Amino acid sequence: MSHTEELDIVGQVISGKIGQIFVREKAGAEIELGNLLVAQSEDGSSLILQVHGLSYGSQIPPPVRELAAGRQLEGQAGSLSYYDPNIRNYTIAEMRAVAKISESVVSIPKTLPGFFSLVRHVNEEDFNFLNDPQNTVYLGKVRSGSKTLNVDVKLNGQELFTHHVLISATTGRGKSNLVKILLWSIVDDDDLGVLVLDPHDEYFGGRDEKLQGLSQHPSASRKVRYYSVNPTVGSSTLMINLKSVMPWHLESIFSLTQAQHEGMYEYYFKHLNDKQWIKAIVKGESLGSVQPITLNSLQRKFRTILGLDKDENGELICYNRAFSDASGEATVSEIIKNLEEGKIVIIDTSRLSDAAELLIGSLVIRDIVFKYQKYRAESGLKGKPRFEDKPVISIVLEEAPRVLASDTLEQYGDNAYSTVAREGRKFKIGLLAVTQLTSVIPPTILANLNTKIIFGNEMASERRAVINSAAQDLTEDYVTIGSLDRGEAIVSSIFTKFAIPIKVPLFDNFLKEFSSNRNLNSSEDKHAIRDADPKIIP
Amino acid sequence: MEKLEMDVFSAAMETCIEYPVDFILISGDLFDSSVPHNLKVVQNAAAKMREVVEHGIPIYCIYGSHEYSATSTSIIEVLESAGLLQKIVQPVMIDNKLKLIPFVDQRTGAKLVGISARKMGLERESYAILDRESLELLEGFKVFAFHSGLDEFKPDYLTQMSTLPLSLLPKGFDYYAGGHIHQKSMHQELGYERIVFPGPLFTGHGRDIEKTASKEPRGFFIVSFDNQVRSTEFVQIEMGDYAFCKLDVTGLNAVQAQLKLEDELLHLDVAGKIVVVRIFGELSGGKISETDLPNLRKILKANGAIHVDISQTGLSSKEYANVKVSGLEASEIEERLFREHIGLIKVSRPQLKNDVGIALSVALLRSLKREKKDTENQDDYDKGIAEDAFETLSLKEVFED
Repeated sequence: MSHTEELDIVGQVISGKIGQIFVREKAGAEIELGNLLVAQSEDGSSLILQVHGLSYGSQIPPPVRELAAGRQLEGQAGSLSYYDPNIRNYTIAEMRAVAKISESVVSIPKTLPGFFSLVRHVNEEDFNFLNDPQNTVYLGKVRSGSKTLNVDVKLNGQELFTHHVLISATTGRGKSNLVKILLWSIVDDDDLGVLVLDPHDEYFGGRDEKLQGLSQHPSASRKVRYYSVNPTVGSSTLMINLKSVMPWHLESIFSLTQAQHEGMYEYYFKHLNDKQWIKAIVKGESLGSVQPITLNSLQRKFRTILGLDKDENGELICYNRAFSDASGEATVSEIIKNLEEGKIVIIDTSRLSDAAELLIGSLVIRDIVFKYQKYRAESGLKGKPRFEDKPVISIVLEEAPRVLASDTLEQYGDNAYSTVAREGRKFKIGLLAVTQLTSVIPPTILANLNTKIIFGNEMASERRAVINSAAQDLTEDYVTIGSLDRGEAIVSSIFTKFAIPIKVPLFDNFLKEFSSNRNLNSSEDKHAIRDADPKIIP
Repeated sequence: MEKLEMDVFSAAMETCIEYPVDFILISGDLFDSSVPHNLKVVQNAAAKMREVVEHGIPIYCIYGSHEYSATSTSIIEVLESAGLLQKIVQPVMIDNKLKLIPFVDQRTGAKLVGISARKMGLERESYAILDRESLELLEGFKVFAFHSGLDEFKPDYLTQMSTLPLSLLPKGFDYYAGGHIHQKSMHQELGYERIVFPGPLFTGHGRDIEKTASKEPRGFFIVSFDNQVRSTEFVQIEMGDYAFCKLDVTGLNAVQAQLKLEDELLHLDVAGKIVVVRIFGELSGGKISETDLPNLRKILKANGAIHVDISQTGLSSKEYANVKVSGLEASEIEERLFREHIGLIKVSRPQLKNDVGIALSVALLRSLKREKKDTENQDDYDKGIAEDAFETLSLKEVFED
């Protein structure tokens, strides 16, 4: 052992069993809950251990300790002190082995560290196995307790997104910050298309200098599309033509009685050619087969849920401006085209109702699932594109229980989002669900979300729900999860050998580091300025 | 059809003279190429424009996507030199921002501003650096002319067309004179009082002629204004009689299909009409190429049709399944074929991928298939093709001496 390594020693293995190894802490080492430590073996391999419990140890019997404490507290201790206090009183750290590293190959540990093995803090070289050039989705840096190592944690985007992701945390722990950083890291990846339903308008940025976002990425003009009812310059207006909406899109969004359901379809079939069935309902076109009371109910639903009404001239208006009978015919197709080109499409739904937001997502998802099913079926045929060359599509959905909760699915049946969660993988379409309430999502869906990024959560039921469905055994992390600070998380994935604790940087700091690393006089920037030359403006 | 096209143009100009309008604004694509193949067309158009100008009505314009050429003088410039046209685009670069100096119509004081089209939708780059604020602060009656489709208003069948988001246009203009889209429409959005696409005056092929034959109105808008728009009146120009039929040959083999088509067309009333025929369906046997289109044309012409437009791009054969392309315009077919195949080739350069790659391919094809003009010798023609191609591929500097 080198001198440096001697200085890094923080403890020694003294007892335990698989899953419960006890290490006596060296005086002053201050081992923390969640720390990653390393026990080196004689054969050169190393075990990474994670601390999940801390307790006191002492050579002095408890009654004697209690008496000494009492004397000290009551001022009767005088010059009383312990002999060799650091030898007699110490901290015991309880930990488990999470990974075995042998010649940069990581595996699940099946042995105990040697008896009386010395343990040290992890360093960056211990994580060389995380360096895989195919891994491009950045999540944060490895965290050991409250300390952050300069080791990036990245996962393979194709695998990560097709196998679905769950990000769980209570409010304010950094979920949205992580999503923003994750998206930033994949902007230039042409093999990943992402649809982001953004209910707080926080991912694109660009409205004021304080809110930073993907609009500042150097490739944003080429790779990021933003749709909003109030677009920034260069962005598209969120405007969906009502002809794009079919009754089945609404079935999981609206609660409908049997009569309303049938009435809706009566209008749909009446207007099969011109597709103006919603307009007909909103304007109050009477159909003999639909009772006036049913029509009124449908009108009310369209008004309150989608903001559709008629003005004093009887013409259709949309209060939230997201739906139109005259424009936006190509919006859904355009969004899908952008996704198929590996772009990130952000839809600002902050000015829309939940139902309107989910409807828009549903329109896009159903169409893209249909297209990808077709690609898969036709792949290999002459003149048809190869399914393998199609980009993976991921859907980022905040407040996922709106469409994935057990009671919602029981009441309305499966919807586009749950279908993606259950079956999307075979069609290269994945879900990235963000939620505070993991417990309300059915276990069958949770089991399909193969990467879970777990932020701090004080609610016991939520911790249990996420632990029970994690890719690794996180039983011992039950307490740890409750004490995670803002920006601290655990990545539990079928694509990682162990649950990696991470620290997610603040987006603003991440951006500063990105900017300082990037050469701002790259040829791409020069190209943009060259084309602004007035000599070539006709 | 050329005569008919000229008649339509003349009728439009005469209407403007009779009205009379204060000025004419053309939002691009007066001609279908930077230097038209048939100079007789230019001569006739110029004569009519001379008549308009001599009546004291100036004609203003921007370049359309067909007219602009980075390498050679365009016909628009020739007509401008002759005093028949006036380009309204007056760009100046200040602090890396594109400032457009308004062109002021002397009689009305209307301020005209515009951005011309460029190849492959490159005008987007001009919009990206446009000094929008100065335009939005302009006072007085102002018109913005542009030659691009807009994301928000394009019909579904044009999804693949590269278009601009509305937000790139400066807000607050009294009238937005749009071009490029071959369909009449008017729109209003927050900040954009009146966005108008008049559609083409005349259409000669593809989906355009089909829509005309289906009674889609063709014409132009006359806009009345003082300090704001008071009315917009669509002036329809009807020229020629049309006969339109769609024939489904599903389930028939190639021979049976031909017989059915001949029989149907023989009994069609086509005397003195422009005939548009669309053949579609899936043949049960035989090849699509076995359909004898020349004979069908012959039948129609023999029955008095003055022009025949037959398309079978909606036709397929069960026996000879191929890449299915059901677009009606040649340019649409080209783009779809490129789109279908671009995904089959792995490339690393972003300029060769997705929409950008497709637009580049279409533009290159267009450069390479330019027809030789009567006035061109072979050397000049070869050189012109090469220059256009290098310009399209941004390789001009590489190959310059």
